[in-house]
Amino acid sequence: MEPTEFLNLYLLSVTIASLLANVAISLYGVFYKPHYTKKIIAVSILSDSANTIAIFIGFRRWLSPSQPPSVAIATNLSREGIEKFANVGVDPLPQALVLTAIVIGLAVTLFLIYLGYMLYCHYKTLDMREIRRLKG
Amino acid sequence: MYSHAWQTSSILSYVGEKMIPGETLHYLVMAVTALISVVATYMAITEKDLLKAVIFSALQSGMYAILYFLLLAPDILLVYIPVAVGLIPGVLIVLISKTERWEKE
Repeated sequence: MEPTEFLNLYLLSVTIASLLANVAISLYGVFYKPHYTKKIIAVSILSDSANTIAIFIGFRRWLSPSQPPSVAIATNLSREGIEKFANVGVDPLPQALVLTAIVIGLAVTLFLIYLGYMLYCHYKTLDMREIRRLKG
Repeated sequence: MYSHAWQTSSILSYVGEKMIPGETLHYLVMAVTALISVVATYMAITEKDLLKAVIFSALQSGMYAILYFLLLAPDILLVYIPVAVGLIPGVLIVLISKTERWEKE
């Protein structure tokens, strides 16, 4: 393996490992942090990390290492032109799914924020330990 | 006919011709951005001041936006910037101002 190719694969591995570390840290925040606002922040980071991992898979660098993905514009609509277009572009399906997921995540986050405000109106605190104690 | 992403950016291609290949530089920026996002996530989760935590999570979202651009998804970038850097931190700051700012031990 050439040194440049090794360096490319190393940097891509650093990127995907960082995304997985983000997933781990945000899961810790969801489960072990007692404050409701902190849980909302952790859930939004978790969904963004999952979206970014999907985009990273759609980048499909490892399918054709000799010809990395690029910005493709289809100008030649013959059979060969379409085949070449499909070979050099990134995968569009994860991008479409992630675009929908971001908008749905926005709606869910705003609903959770409104629920937090209602919790504060009822219990005068957002600490989940206090709320569990007051509920019993 | 097909132009690579690191050839369309003039600054990256200028630096890439001088020192390291453009593709490696592309992935280097991607790796550094992802590492900064890990630091921002850790600070956002461990911070006791919730206002600072929201600002750190907005920083992490900005890093993800750069990552989307480098992963050749500029359409995601255009939706993600207003939603995750503008709207969600803004509404979270409104929630913090109406409720409590500090997280107790």
